Amino acid sequence: MSVKEWLKERFPIDYEKFVEINENIFIKEPIPLHMKKWLLAMGTTPFILLPMQIITGILLAFYFVPSPEMAYESVRYITEEVQLGFWIRGFHHWGANLMIISIFLHMMRVFFTHAYRKPREINWIVGFILLFLVLTISFTGYSLTYNQLSYWAATVGTNLVKETPLIGGFLVNMLRGGESVTANTLTRFYTLHVWLLPLLITLMIVIHIIVLRVHGISEPEGYDKGYYPFYPSHFNKIIIVTLFLISLISLLTVILPPGLGQPADPMNTPLHIKPEWYFFSVFLFLKLVPIKLGILLIGLIVLIMIFWPFIEPLTSKKEDRRAIINYVLGGTAILILIAFTILETISL
Amino acid sequence: MNNAKIQQWLIGIFSVLLIVSLMIVATVEIKKTREYKPEIDIDKITARCITCHEKENIAVKQIDAWEESEHAVMGIGCFECHEAKDGDFDAQRCPESDFLIARHPTPKDCAECHEQQVAEFANSKHAHQFWLFANADRAVYENPISTRHGCEQCHQVGNIWPDGSVGECDVCHAKHSFDLAVARQPETCGECHIGPDHPHIEIYNESKHGNIFITKGGEWDMGYHTADNEPIPIEAPVCVTCHMDGNEKQPMTHNVSARLAWESQSPWSYRTVWDEENLGSWEVKRERMESICKSCHAPNFIETYLVTADLVNLQYNEIRRMFVYWTKKLTNDSLIDRLKADGKFYSNPVLNGWDEVPELEMYHAWHHEGRRFRHGAEMMGADFTQWHGIWDLQEDMVELIAWAAEHGDKEAEEWVESNHPSKFAPYALYDIPGSAWGIPTKTNTTPFVYKDNKDYWDRIKANVETVYKKGLLAEDQWDLWMKRYENKDHYLGLKYSSDVDSTWNFYKERNALDTKAFKEQAVKLNLPGKSFWERKK
Repeated sequence: MSVKEWLKERFPIDYEKFVEINENIFIKEPIPLHMKKWLLAMGTTPFILLPMQIITGILLAFYFVPSPEMAYESVRYITEEVQLGFWIRGFHHWGANLMIISIFLHMMRVFFTHAYRKPREINWIVGFILLFLVLTISFTGYSLTYNQLSYWAATVGTNLVKETPLIGGFLVNMLRGGESVTANTLTRFYTLHVWLLPLLITLMIVIHIIVLRVHGISEPEGYDKGYYPFYPSHFNKIIIVTLFLISLISLLTVILPPGLGQPADPMNTPLHIKPEWYFFSVFLFLKLVPIKLGILLIGLIVLIMIFWPFIEPLTSKKEDRRAIINYVLGGTAILILIAFTILETISL
Repeated sequence: MNNAKIQQWLIGIFSVLLIVSLMIVATVEIKKTREYKPEIDIDKITARCITCHEKENIAVKQIDAWEESEHAVMGIGCFECHEAKDGDFDAQRCPESDFLIARHPTPKDCAECHEQQVAEFANSKHAHQFWLFANADRAVYENPISTRHGCEQCHQVGNIWPDGSVGECDVCHAKHSFDLAVARQPETCGECHIGPDHPHIEIYNESKHGNIFITKGGEWDMGYHTADNEPIPIEAPVCVTCHMDGNEKQPMTHNVSARLAWESQSPWSYRTVWDEENLGSWEVKRERMESICKSCHAPNFIETYLVTADLVNLQYNEIRRMFVYWTKKLTNDSLIDRLKADGKFYSNPVLNGWDEVPELEMYHAWHHEGRRFRHGAEMMGADFTQWHGIWDLQEDMVELIAWAAEHGDKEAEEWVESNHPSKFAPYALYDIPGSAWGIPTKTNTTPFVYKDNKDYWDRIKANVETVYKKGLLAEDQWDLWMKRYENKDHYLGLKYSSDVDSTWNFYKERNALDTKAFKEQAVKLNLPGKSFWERKK
């Protein structure tokens, strides 16, 4: 009896049908010709990074202890004593950084090619939810290292949440488990980081991809029409990107490994405390305007961005004009993001 | 340009912009996790000082040092330490500002914040210029300019300032970083505690403590605080660990005299009475030191080690008694003379004198060899107790007595002419059965005094008992000594001597081979070409 027969006895499914479905869904998935251009096929990058983060995260969780007494020490142990621990930790850190950058790139491509337009508005919103989830998982993960930088980044980050109108106090208490960042915060962040957020991100990615497949990949105007099958050409592209990412992250880990910093000291507030770099633009904006107003404005901007697929048609009835508004708004937003991030980086 | 092209250009340009700029930002931020440069907030006055110093290029590296300091992190700038009042001895009007600044902050300034540390220091022997009381006339041998960058540089540690404060904090705490790691580095102590008269850094370096530090110390964080009675965080002690740092039971102190039981730098070793009203007796001070030792060592080891070192100090006194006897006798017999001018003596036959051989031998036997002998024994510097210690002391003694014999002293002539081996112990002895290192089975079969004197240990016991009764040894030390005395065959290893004969004979056979080899290869070698001098004859 062959293995295939042995398996068929125990899993009596229509194997031929299974192969057919697999071929239709994956192998022969029609990929529009414009996806041959690298610049227009960046959405897979965060998707490739996710399993890498999960694998390295599981390995880190073998050693990490989420308590104020042990968190820093266990990160030090991972970095300095566990075999290849520095590489796993560096990979996880750089993987998180690249995931955020790649999501920005993907969003930019979607925005400039109008891929959020009807009937794909829902997927744009799902994508936005994914961005928030990824920022939250990065924020909670960064705080777990429990050094001075991360401890005070957690403090300043949760302080921003406190400014949310009406529910700010409740939210920050829920996040911190008390008045300030303590052992309760650490266990909450740990639970969010290793369990709830990865589950939500995976669910949202599944929804993101199902919606994508239901509608098919959007086909921007002005490109050659036609399709090619997912396998082998696009599949090879994914393999190349995967190998490139592994090499790039490994290189970054070796050249620029994340340090340990100084152990967190809740009694010693540094003169200059900052959140992680991906919040710099928001952080600087909030420093420039009164905090309550700033939070309201940020909330408004975020709402406009989330619901942009529904707002855009209201901006103009002419397609050309809408396109120009799209390019100008997108370009300006990116330039402001970059400028604010750099300004906050170089400021003391 | 069609829409597709515009989109591609936009995506291309912004992709590059986003990737490059955000990767640079991520890199800068990750580097911060590896940098431990403290964040500092520079106040307006300090900013003015820094700007001007940088413009004029005056001591700019000190600004970097300050930026690394905990002072900088805590917001303590230039003026907090360098503020002066009109009439202060070091007040100076800064030429580029209206600031009246103190050129040299003194311990009085440091005490504004570090009151306890300055007070502890002022009560230590670091702050005590004892040589000015008893040895001021040594300056006849060394001219003043030589002492400026010699004696005075190190003894600045106990300087009495015009403002009445005592000491110089930056002798150990390098200005302006005041880095704890620098202060704790053995080389900081070794800036002064070095050389033939008190080679403490050399002793430390040759000790096991020093060896471990030299091997592994580069990886240790030496900038730790010990104020909270926390465990010693380093694997082996540096100087500061034993003399100043705290452990679980001992608080940290800036009084380096708080844990010393001897005045073993002095011409005679004596149990310290320094600041007894605050620091307690020598026994209390010894307990403090032992409490630090016990962080790493078993009590029995350190108690045995230290009582042995104590007996070395007492033995030194008996050796010194010989030198004092001879220089006094030679002075009384007018074979040597004291330096004298205007009715005042400038040398002392029992302390110093430099123009005659016995005086120099006596001086060296105290100030150089005598200290090395004692300090080596206290700090595990075997070579300094042995070759730079007792060996040199014995040489000094032989040379002194030989000089006396050459100059007609009958007693010295008799000593020189004597063939009896016990001539090299013309003083009373101390001893202890065995050592802290373990049980030796053969070592104690060789000393001449053991073989020549059946009552050796009874005589030694009488000496040790005498010093114990005089309070120079503590009760538990005497008990420890007696325990060893009563079991001396065990501690001396003599009862095991015959048990190890097979091992002993193995090495004896090897020794015979060695002896045979050097006789054949060297002693019996007879070259055919005789010496050129011999041919001349």
